[in-house]
Amino acid sequence: MHHQFRSPEGPIEVTVAKQGDEWSLGGLSTTVMADGRLRIVGSDGGISFGHVAKVGDVWWVHTQGHTFKLERIEPGATDTDDGGGLTAPMPGKVLDVLVAAGEVVSAGTTLMVLEAMKMEHRIVAASDGVVMAVHFAAGDQVEQGVALLTLDES
Amino acid sequence: MVRKVLVANRGEIACRILRACNEAGLPSVAIYAENDASSMFIELADEAVLLTGDTIGETYLDQEQILAIAKSTGADAIHPGFGFLSERADFARAVGNAGLQWVGPSPEAIEQMGDKMTARITMRAAGVPVIPGEEIEHEDEADALAAIEAASHRVGYPLLLKASSGGGGKGMRAVHAPEDLIESAKGARREAIAAFGDGRVYLERLLTGSKHVEIQVLADRHGRTIHLGERECSVQRRHQKVFEEAPCATMTSELREAMGQAAVAAAEAVDYEGAGTVEFLLAPTGEFFFLEMNTRIQVEHPVTELVTGVDLVREQLRIAAGEPMSCGPLMMRGHAIEVRLYAEDAANNFLPAIGPLAVFRPPEGPGVRLDTGVREGDEVTPNYDPMLAKLIVWAPSRHEALQRMRRALDEFVVLGTTTNIRFLRELCDEHEVITGATDTTTIDRIWPNGWQPTVPRAVEDMALMAAAVAESAGLHRKQSMASTGGQGPPSPFETIGRRFP
Repeated sequence: MHHQFRSPEGPIEVTVAKQGDEWSLGGLSTTVMADGRLRIVGSDGGISFGHVAKVGDVWWVHTQGHTFKLERIEPGATDTDDGGGLTAPMPGKVLDVLVAAGEVVSAGTTLMVLEAMKMEHRIVAASDGVVMAVHFAAGDQVEQGVALLTLDES
Repeated sequence: MVRKVLVANRGEIACRILRACNEAGLPSVAIYAENDASSMFIELADEAVLLTGDTIGETYLDQEQILAIAKSTGADAIHPGFGFLSERADFARAVGNAGLQWVGPSPEAIEQMGDKMTARITMRAAGVPVIPGEEIEHEDEADALAAIEAASHRVGYPLLLKASSGGGGKGMRAVHAPEDLIESAKGARREAIAAFGDGRVYLERLLTGSKHVEIQVLADRHGRTIHLGERECSVQRRHQKVFEEAPCATMTSELREAMGQAAVAAAEAVDYEGAGTVEFLLAPTGEFFFLEMNTRIQVEHPVTELVTGVDLVREQLRIAAGEPMSCGPLMMRGHAIEVRLYAEDAANNFLPAIGPLAVFRPPEGPGVRLDTGVREGDEVTPNYDPMLAKLIVWAPSRHEALQRMRRALDEFVVLGTTTNIRFLRELCDEHEVITGATDTTTIDRIWPNGWQPTVPRAVEDMALMAAAVAESAGLHRKQSMASTGGQGPPSPFETIGRRFP
């Protein structure tokens, strides 16, 4: 089966094939254990175990002491997703809005500054585009996950 | 006598104290705010009483409400834990005035140690070495600035300006050159007035390359004040400790004895009672200087418990009840390390994180202790401190303790909320940590531009495959079924054909 996950370098495509109880990908093979963990056999024959949990669209994976957050891109969805990274990472207050609707911005531009849990957090454009709308003004309180700005990645 | 203990705290430390009460056969009372209604500590208490109010000030800091609950539940002692009201002399006094036993030192001792300038003067008089510096008593801005300027020539550069009422880095400024002095002094005073309503500051010589070493003390009403050796807590990020150990890797028995005696003298100077910690800076020269005394149980107390075999919270309860402490002469055995697990993004300037604890699977096995206030299924919210747990290991040697900590951190699975587990794990591989040559600037020196995880490509590939297999196999549907219980296994009471109750 074919899946896409988001990464800082762009979408990653992963295709796993199933034969009997065993899934394979390149030299790796994986079986699902009775308790929901994964048993992964590497190309060198080494065995690892994986814990997985899905929260929203994100698969959390723990294996070999490392923890990963892999956001799944639903088939057919465009890569703009619902607001990209332009959502409030946690409840907080808008300290500053650095762009206005209609403004052309390039990837990496700071669009907004939030204060959350007594720390400043910068909302940065993930790609080039045009600011279509700014949904909050300085001083506004925002809930976690709300869209702060809409960016048209044209 | 102490017959029933009210624990005026929440989370991990409330769990620690409530378990100690349980073991001692003492009935316990928990207090909780509405947003803690399903928290773990409530389950460990014999009784739990809801605090009315929304903010921390209206709940865990509301002295009158807490005293009223003590009265209505028949509790005769209050254990404050750490944070919240633990170092509030006015609360300790109110507890005493209400005819209840405060589990901690007298209000006078809290006051004498809480005001940093008073503490320095008291310590100097008791013969405890303090960091070279001068106290400035002037309240008036112009007078204070003139006195600071005059004192700076005697103290020398670089120097530190610190607020007398300060803590947590507030009202503190490092000054490296005379031309920055007045501006920094104004800033420190401004911050101190805003945070504590007290602008008094003092000067201290800035001792670079020092270790943060603290001595645990215990004092009872039967004339005994002892020290329980040291903890080293040099490894800090943003002035908060993350990695603590006992003993200190570079300690000698002569130095331990000297620091221990100084800590005992410090405690005796304020007629201390209960458990307390005297913090010192240990300079590369081997000289040590009094920093401050924490008049409460500390977050990192478990490392001392593991190497000395003393149950500090149990001793606190014993001492508060007027009994003599139960520990004999100091015996230290092996090595203990504690790391603090925070819900935070270590790769993004340690920004606090929130989310569900979809999976929370702590390590097990020999020499591993976990002190936590959360369990799987809980939600990490921005309401309180983001510390999730303290992971503590003990082993016969420091080398083996580090090996055990690496193993334990690799086993620790937390999914659904970002944590600093990987940061702590990589910290255990750093040269300075391995050799024990840590000081208070270690983290900034190792990662001057912030920490980023080092992830082997092969492990990343495995994770991607795991996510793809989990999605393909529909594991998320099975997980949500198990959590809602709707399609779960049938109830045993149905299968055996009877009803309960």
